[in-house]
Amino acid sequence: MNIFFLALLLIGVGGTQALTTFKRYSLMKTGAVLAIITGCSIGAVDAATRLLQHAEPVIYTHSWLQIFTFSLKIDAVSAFFLVPVFAISAIAALYSFQYLHDAKRAAGTAINYFFYALLIISMALVVCANNLISFALAWELMSVASFFLVIYDVHKKATRGAGYIYFIFTQAGALFIFAGFGFLYSHTGTFGFEALASIPDSAKLIAFILILIGCGSKAGIMPLHVWLPYAHPAAPSHVSAVMSGVMIKMGIYGIVRFYLLLEPTSVVFGQIVIILGISSGILGVVYAIGKQDIKKMLAYSSVENIGIILLGLGVGMLGAASGNKTMAAFGFAGGLLHVFNHSIFKSLLFMGAGSVLHQTKTGASNQLGGLMKTMPVTGRSLLIGSISISGLPPFNGFISEFLIYYGAIHGLSLHGASFVLSALAIIALAVIGALAAAAFTKFIGVVFLGEPRTANAANACEAGVLMGTALSLLAAACLIIGIWPYYFVQAAFLVTQAIPLVADYTTTDFMPIMTNISRTAALFIFLFIIVTVLRKIFYIGKEVTKSGTWGCGFTQPTVRMQYTGTSYADSMVDFFRPFIRVQKKYSGIEKIFPGKTTYSSHTLDTSEIGLNFFVVRPVLYLLSKLRWIQHGNIQLYIGYIVLAIVVMLIFI
Amino acid sequence: MNFTFSFTSLFSLLVAFSLAPLFMGVILKVKAFFGGKQGPPWLIKYYTLIKLLRKGSVYSTSTTFIFKLGPIISFVTAFMLLLFFPFAGLPPILSFHGDVVVLFYLLGLGRFFTVLAALDTASPFEGMGAAREVFFSALAEATIFVILALFFRLSGSLSFAEYFSGTQVVNLWSQSAALIFLVLIALFIVLLTENSRVPVDDPATHLELTMIHEVMILDHSGPDLALIEMGAFCKMLFYSAFISCLLYPFHTGSALYNVLVFNIIMTLIYAGVGLVESITARYKMDMVPNFILTSFALVFFATILTMEFVQ
Repeated sequence: MNIFFLALLLIGVGGTQALTTFKRYSLMKTGAVLAIITGCSIGAVDAATRLLQHAEPVIYTHSWLQIFTFSLKIDAVSAFFLVPVFAISAIAALYSFQYLHDAKRAAGTAINYFFYALLIISMALVVCANNLISFALAWELMSVASFFLVIYDVHKKATRGAGYIYFIFTQAGALFIFAGFGFLYSHTGTFGFEALASIPDSAKLIAFILILIGCGSKAGIMPLHVWLPYAHPAAPSHVSAVMSGVMIKMGIYGIVRFYLLLEPTSVVFGQIVIILGISSGILGVVYAIGKQDIKKMLAYSSVENIGIILLGLGVGMLGAASGNKTMAAFGFAGGLLHVFNHSIFKSLLFMGAGSVLHQTKTGASNQLGGLMKTMPVTGRSLLIGSISISGLPPFNGFISEFLIYYGAIHGLSLHGASFVLSALAIIALAVIGALAAAAFTKFIGVVFLGEPRTANAANACEAGVLMGTALSLLAAACLIIGIWPYYFVQAAFLVTQAIPLVADYTTTDFMPIMTNISRTAALFIFLFIIVTVLRKIFYIGKEVTKSGTWGCGFTQPTVRMQYTGTSYADSMVDFFRPFIRVQKKYSGIEKIFPGKTTYSSHTLDTSEIGLNFFVVRPVLYLLSKLRWIQHGNIQLYIGYIVLAIVVMLIFI
Repeated sequence: MNFTFSFTSLFSLLVAFSLAPLFMGVILKVKAFFGGKQGPPWLIKYYTLIKLLRKGSVYSTSTTFIFKLGPIISFVTAFMLLLFFPFAGLPPILSFHGDVVVLFYLLGLGRFFTVLAALDTASPFEGMGAAREVFFSALAEATIFVILALFFRLSGSLSFAEYFSGTQVVNLWSQSAALIFLVLIALFIVLLTENSRVPVDDPATHLELTMIHEVMILDHSGPDLALIEMGAFCKMLFYSAFISCLLYPFHTGSALYNVLVFNIIMTLIYAGVGLVESITARYKMDMVPNFILTSFALVFFATILTMEFVQ
């Protein structure tokens, strides 16, 4: 535990010293980044060794003013989530050193580092919290810290709007979580976690659904994902990397933790989670295909991956409730490993997108192109990230998706609704995988391949060395986990042992299959090398010439004739109507000699429209009727407080 | 991982692999017959491969290393399928419980790079082909995984070796023949889609706008194109072999006899593809999703039926 606190202390020192030394810009950045990286490394190594050495859980408690007890506990589940929290934050901090480079905004940068450190600390506290109050406290701290990180570019109107939307979602989500906590407290009468398993089944379901909604709004489950495509593009890229890679996983952590604490026995839990997983996964990826802003597209892809994680967890829950060991172990392990894998490739993709944004000053993919030649390190790293996130072997995304498939396929031996849901989970995974490949071929193809579509894209050059290092580190991690998945899979299965049904699941139950996957990956690489050499041999002494692309007889091609992201996505997006709407504006051709025509299309989020119509408008209408309460008169405000206390005293 | 290095397995693999171009010639011959022509020689595809391997290449100035990776990866992934497939019911060289999922994902990797190589050329035609390829294959992927789910439900197996050479085999002569019949139709539709045949795609047309796969490889030439062609042969061979193993119970009988029957059935399947190409026209592009979804509906129906059959 002491090492854990040392790590947090170092991170905290890094963040606070930035506030005091911001007048010397480079010194401030160096100090903050170094302290944060050191603290994070210590924390990550400590958590990883704890996890792999099966360390006994450690507990720390501190009673504060006799009001409540602040309690932390590091067990296998916490340690598993602590690793990405620390590791990804460290790499993102390394990236931020060159990404934040505007010395004129020294104070802003210092504040950014302060809240960045606070975000890491609060996330570490969330996963270690050992009672309801500590969890709620850490959760709120995390929300506040991330809110200030999102509004870094506060002078831009779009950023302020994004921050506002994020704030509303995060607080509304917290309300649901607190409602769930209140509900739990009313049954157990204690803030501790221990008594939660003993409450009646119906109460478990209600509490779980409340927490699922609250955590789901943080994780970005469809239709509570609306804030993601606003907040991620607005935030600085290292922040969106940490938010999308790690912070939204705190929502998943909440779901996993309370599922484990409640120890439910009904299949309904798994069924709800699978259905949410299917809807988030498929719709998330369809929107990712439809969006042309690279960071918006990545934000929707996070929604998709949360869907995959939920599918895994749901399959695991269904297996645990039906007594199917393989299904429970593989589903849970797959979902958890995907949490880890997604934190790697999503932060890689966001930071890579940040480099593109940084060098070309635009995030609109239809204005980019050809960056693979001018930004080779970024391009190659993002290529690896894109293959990984599409779940293709021999990279890490495939390992976790395979585990989920394996669990879901073994769920096919169940009967009735559980069978149908297992089958639907398999179909959903297959469709999500194929569509993710579509989304990310679009991303790489439109942004990095072909010819540059604008001058900005043509004149781009490689981003800074540290930014490139951060990307390369993450890309290497994707390949390493894809080929040698043993430790990572083992870690995921260790966490899975927290479920009573599979507590006796041992290495021999899952390692053979992992060995096979790893050997297949090795065989692929071996054959790849052989064929590459053969190809080289066939080209010896041959004439290899360079020429323009074959234009099918057309000799005056321009870069604007390239297929754009919009056209690439059109038929797929069209297929998924009415779940996704595209607004098209076309001026049309009217005269024999047509004048200037314009065309624009815009993908609308159906959930956003729905939420706007069914929730926001009625709530605003209701609140506008209560406007008279707010009048700016302080005496009366104090009166409200007194009145509220009196009313509460009467009721309690 | 089961590693079987028996002479017969290797023999059947080599026979199948070396006959793959000849089978493609069958399609051309059938099409020529229906067109009232003599058609190209039976060995045309071998000649084409040799011709391509002897040539040099022209690369577009727009392309990067991805353009060269595309053919290699699409060939390697398609070839790996063959290592895991029990041709004529003989145990494959490699197999393990769960290999089907890995193999279909490897095919996905091959497609990923073919598509990227097409986008790398900055050509609008190839972009168009790429967009269609990813869309249609996403729909076909759903059918494939429902078939895998159905087979697991029927036999508890999760590898090609278990499907066709184990104790719990799936084929048209087993208990669940009615379901396998639906699977056969669906698989044939997937075969046509994944191998870019009529009525989804037209491998022979010269009008680039109507094509999917052919238009994506417009800029490849020389040995690169040969690799793509060989990958396409492997893929076609795999899907046809999949269908033929469902048609005939290869797990019984002597090896030599099975290899003979297998190759006869394979010829018939390729001739069937040629027949379809001769008597149907290519669908309008917006009809293709419906065509592929038909296959999905069939196998999904079959899977739902197992809720009553298998208890």
